[in-house]
Amino acid sequence: MQRFSVRNCVTTNCRGSVQALPQLRPAMNDPESREMLLSIAPTALPIGISGIEKRFGGVSVLRDLSLDVAAGEFLTLLGPSGSGKTTLLMILAGFVRANAGSIKVGGEEIIAMPPHRRNIGMVFQNYALFPHMNVFHNIAFPLKQRRVSTAETAERVEKALDLVQLKGLGERRVDQLSGGQRQRVALARAIVFEPRIVLMDEPLSALDKSLREHMQIELRNLHRRLGMTTVYVTHDQREAITMSDRIAVMNAGCIEQIDRPEVLYAAPKTRFVAGFIGDSNFIPVESRNGSVWYEDRKIRMTSAVPAAGCHLMVVRPEKLRLVADAQPAGSVNVIPATVGDVIYQGDSFACYATLRDGRQVTLRDYCRSDVLARLPGPGEPVNLGIDAEDVVLVAAD
Amino acid sequence: MSMQSAILPHAGARTLNADALHADARRETFGLLALLSPGLLLVFAVIIVPIGWLFWLSLFDETGSLSASNYARFFQQPSYIKTFLTTFKVAFAVTGACVVLGYPLAYMLSQLPRRAASICLILVILPFWTSVLVRTYAWLVILQRKGLINSWLIDLGVISQPLPLANNFAGVIIGMTHIMLPFLVLPLYASMKTIDIDCLRAGMNLGASPAATFRQIFFPLSLPGLASGVVIVFVLCLGFFVTPALMGGGKVIMWAMRIEQTTSLYSNWGAGAALGVVLLAVTLALLGLFQWLLGARATGVWSSR
Amino acid sequence: MTKLLCIKSLAVAGLLASVAVPASAADTITAASWGGTYQEAETKAFFDPTAKELGITIKQDTTNGLDDVRLQVTGNAVKWDITELGADECARGSKEGLFEKLDYSVIDKSGINPKLVHDDWVGISYTSVVLIYRTDVFGDKGPKTWADFWDVEKFPGRRALSGSQATETLSVAALAKGIPIDKVYPVDIDGALQSVDKVKGHIDAWWTSGAQAMQLVKDGEVDMASIWNGRAGTLRKEGAPVSFSFDQGVLTADCMVIPKGSKNKDLAMKALAKFVSPDLQANLPLYVDNGPANEKAFETGKIPPERIKDINSAPDNVKKQVLQDPEFWRDTLVEATEKFNNLIQQ
Repeated sequence: MQRFSVRNCVTTNCRGSVQALPQLRPAMNDPESREMLLSIAPTALPIGISGIEKRFGGVSVLRDLSLDVAAGEFLTLLGPSGSGKTTLLMILAGFVRANAGSIKVGGEEIIAMPPHRRNIGMVFQNYALFPHMNVFHNIAFPLKQRRVSTAETAERVEKALDLVQLKGLGERRVDQLSGGQRQRVALARAIVFEPRIVLMDEPLSALDKSLREHMQIELRNLHRRLGMTTVYVTHDQREAITMSDRIAVMNAGCIEQIDRPEVLYAAPKTRFVAGFIGDSNFIPVESRNGSVWYEDRKIRMTSAVPAAGCHLMVVRPEKLRLVADAQPAGSVNVIPATVGDVIYQGDSFACYATLRDGRQVTLRDYCRSDVLARLPGPGEPVNLGIDAEDVVLVAAD
Repeated sequence: MSMQSAILPHAGARTLNADALHADARRETFGLLALLSPGLLLVFAVIIVPIGWLFWLSLFDETGSLSASNYARFFQQPSYIKTFLTTFKVAFAVTGACVVLGYPLAYMLSQLPRRAASICLILVILPFWTSVLVRTYAWLVILQRKGLINSWLIDLGVISQPLPLANNFAGVIIGMTHIMLPFLVLPLYASMKTIDIDCLRAGMNLGASPAATFRQIFFPLSLPGLASGVVIVFVLCLGFFVTPALMGGGKVIMWAMRIEQTTSLYSNWGAGAALGVVLLAVTLALLGLFQWLLGARATGVWSSR
Repeated sequence: MTKLLCIKSLAVAGLLASVAVPASAADTITAASWGGTYQEAETKAFFDPTAKELGITIKQDTTNGLDDVRLQVTGNAVKWDITELGADECARGSKEGLFEKLDYSVIDKSGINPKLVHDDWVGISYTSVVLIYRTDVFGDKGPKTWADFWDVEKFPGRRALSGSQATETLSVAALAKGIPIDKVYPVDIDGALQSVDKVKGHIDAWWTSGAQAMQLVKDGEVDMASIWNGRAGTLRKEGAPVSFSFDQGVLTADCMVIPKGSKNKDLAMKALAKFVSPDLQANLPLYVDNGPANEKAFETGKIPPERIKDINSAPDNVKKQVLQDPEFWRDTLVEATEKFNNLIQQ
């Protein structure tokens, strides 16, 4: 889990309003937080989703969808609007009834259980705080339903407020809070009763960019400290990559691919996944006679050669580079192109080039002095190099 | 600062352009007042002046001399106190009946799919298109001794003697409730529609049963709409004339009927005006009380929207 | 510029001329009455023939009663030259000095009950309050007198009385106590109120309009009621199972006055003289059940004999009834009505 250093991210994002928000301390070496961790620690349970079918009218929204979430995992459902991710979340929470399927939480079937018995915490897109209650009563609400004693309620609400860094704001009215504070109240309310699992429906979409980035880190840290099984819905691929243990990319009611973010990025299995996560160049190639060909050039690759037929080579802009030799050497593939435009972006530049077949590709590189010295101008012919190990092929559909 | 005072040495110009800015602010205030003046004038002409005139009239007896006799009548004639109590009794009963019938109706409307809701809403509003007089007579036809309800019940053998439903207090309440119901349902429905469905989902998600969610979340959030509906219905009831006159069988005399009676009996506008002033004062006092009782809670929700 | 001014002044002159023409013609008067079928009948009986005979135009308006007259007279904006009122209103308006004096050298008062002939007002027609009962409940053995109406044991059933016309109900209550018709006036108000008190627990509706009284009886909501004879006649014509007679009826008169400040006072006087003349008075019962105020109307031969017996002011019927005394109520109305209202309210 050291893909992204937490400190790094926070410092790069630390601008303007974010400075006002205190940073979460790492939990493990702090005795006080460990105590909190014990008092508000959702029992992490695995979720087993299988064979979910959902139709609205005649339209199939989810088709035979199956998915396993490990105990304590942070899983993100990522997809465009209409892909069925929110419907799946609603089915998990019990607000929408599936036509078929099974949902097991820690081995217990909950698909036919009414929402109020499911013991699932949920953070809504617009927070859904109760406007007629103050912060304290909002957070105490789930405890009140569970007939927790007044003294214990006060104690747990206090701890939850502390956990989301809203200590002392219990008497505030909801309409006196900023967007970020409302977000935290919603979060505290969703975890204060130690739910079996926590669901989040695009909880950060209403926040401005810098606050959103800050909250991503904070949510991520909170998850690490409390270890609750979390299902998170978003359409923002960057957010999904930042926060998740695994991402399930959804499209048209199905899961296209589910894997760790770095795998999804490096080895997308379908054109949809490649296009949805990160920027991609698609270059048509053909597989014949046990090799893959781009026009008359044989593509060197480390992965297995697919079945004969047309395929698309997925190339990330940063995996392309400008090479001097027109003839490939070693494990580098070379594709000739003509520069259309070069956009200077400070730390990096983007080069838009046209292949011989007229296809547009993008190349991105950092502005190192050796690269800058050889930067081509518009109209200049260039050679684009791709390492054999970066070649990823997907079906051309 | 020191540099500034060096450049502008006289005391009057201590702050740069202060006078000009002050003058500009004053101009803007007058400009806004000028824009408001048609509205203010209208309010003055159609509300302040007539009420003031009403109050002025109420101070004169039939010989045209200044006297408190129009007000003294309340204490000399016990029938006025009776009418007053009857008026409030009817207003409370009708408001209560409207709440009991209107709340579930508004709730149902707010939960229906959009198309069905708009059709049902038309049905709710439909009675507005017929006159109050016609609707009251229709109720008379339905409720009287040989009316629809009594003949059905007798034919079915449920009762042997007709129920007294018209020409009494019950008749007035039934007739007025029907007329007042939309005034309660419409604001209530509007406020229920603004309740965020996610708030209700959150309630259930957090462990509240549907009934508990309704009680702890939906109902408190619908209170502002209920409050405005109740105030509208209550105030309209206080001034009602046609239905009690026709459905009350002459035994349920409400304030508006009394104003009419008194004005013609004493041949003096002041006599009726005094009744109007008293009703206005008591109504305002009640509304104040209402605001005080429900206001804090209701406005708490209002301001958050 | 001068040309424009010229056109303007021409236009003003034209406007003045067009206004001046009708103003100079003093052959138009305005008469106000209660509207509805009653005023239509008056139009045919009185207004149209008078307009034709005198060669004038009679414009019509409707009135709500004495308050309208008072407003016009005290506000110096008299629109009407003749208006109809209830007799007790005439008595009150007379006391307040709202009417012009009538010239009985122009108006022939003979044939009109002297109680309805005054310095500034004169009777024009009669309405009766009668006892009606449903024959499908009582057959022909229904309550015939007000004492019967008050006898809830002998005549069980649902009852309605007028709640808006205290004067009429108090007269009826006095009759119910057994007071002979010629001794009812002056009414012993406290005695009459006691009488009302005895029956009020058995009154199912206190009606406030003629239409309501009719509806109560017609729909069987009550089995017996006090009702105006015009409404009772309509019910009988419509075939409702009802019976009524003029026995112990209460005759109330309507009157006509010339509001003080009328601009066409002399012409109005001539028109009023026509209205109360036996000839035109005899027209009225041809169109409505309200009887003529001038009993000479019955001698004109215009009214068919079989119609005469149904008219409340026919001499034979007048004998059976009490005539309301407008001057009595002029002085006692307010006090009596307040006491009455107090009594009948729940």
